[in-house]
Amino acid sequence: MQILKVEGSLTCTSRIDGLKYSVFRVLTDLSGKKQVATDPVGAKPGNWVYVVSGSAARYAAGDFEILTDLTIGGIIDFWSDDDMKVESVV
Amino acid sequence: MKICQVERPLVSTNRIAMMEHKLLQVVKDGSSKAVAVDAVGAKPGDWVICVGSSAAREAAGSKGYPSDLTIVGIIDHWPPETEAQEDADSQG
Repeated sequence: MQILKVEGSLTCTSRIDGLKYSVFRVLTDLSGKKQVATDPVGAKPGNWVYVVSGSAARYAAGDFEILTDLTIGGIIDFWSDDDMKVESVV
Repeated sequence: MKICQVERPLVSTNRIAMMEHKLLQVVKDGSSKAVAVDAVGAKPGDWVICVGSSAAREAAGSKGYPSDLTIVGIIDHWPPETEAQEDADSQG
């Protein structure tokens, strides 16, 4: 499960029924790549969260009928930009 | 399945209820970090095997468990090139 940063909300009024009531958040990784995920936990901009992708994202959204492939799994308590760097530990 | 190294546990009190109380670990996969559900109880520094996609859900608990990366095993000897050194230590 990836670790991403919440940038902000995204409103999308005209959408398919399969997305039902889900709330969208824009997530970015440090390289600036932006993705949209459904948010059952209510993350705020600036929070670091981990996301569930693939078919598991539909279970994570709370209702398997929600047609998402990326869902926020939870807000990480202690995390910051430099935690993302990987130092080689032998 | 991937070979990763466990860095440390991930604390996330505000998370979706379906994740229950399963332990989450931060794992290093080459040059990137990821979060995996720990089904075997690995400790930081362990080299582990992680499974993805739909198998990760069943490995983490039930068919409906929302995980796409789960630790399924702790490797006894890894990385192999230090194997000779490990054997030397164990014999020494």
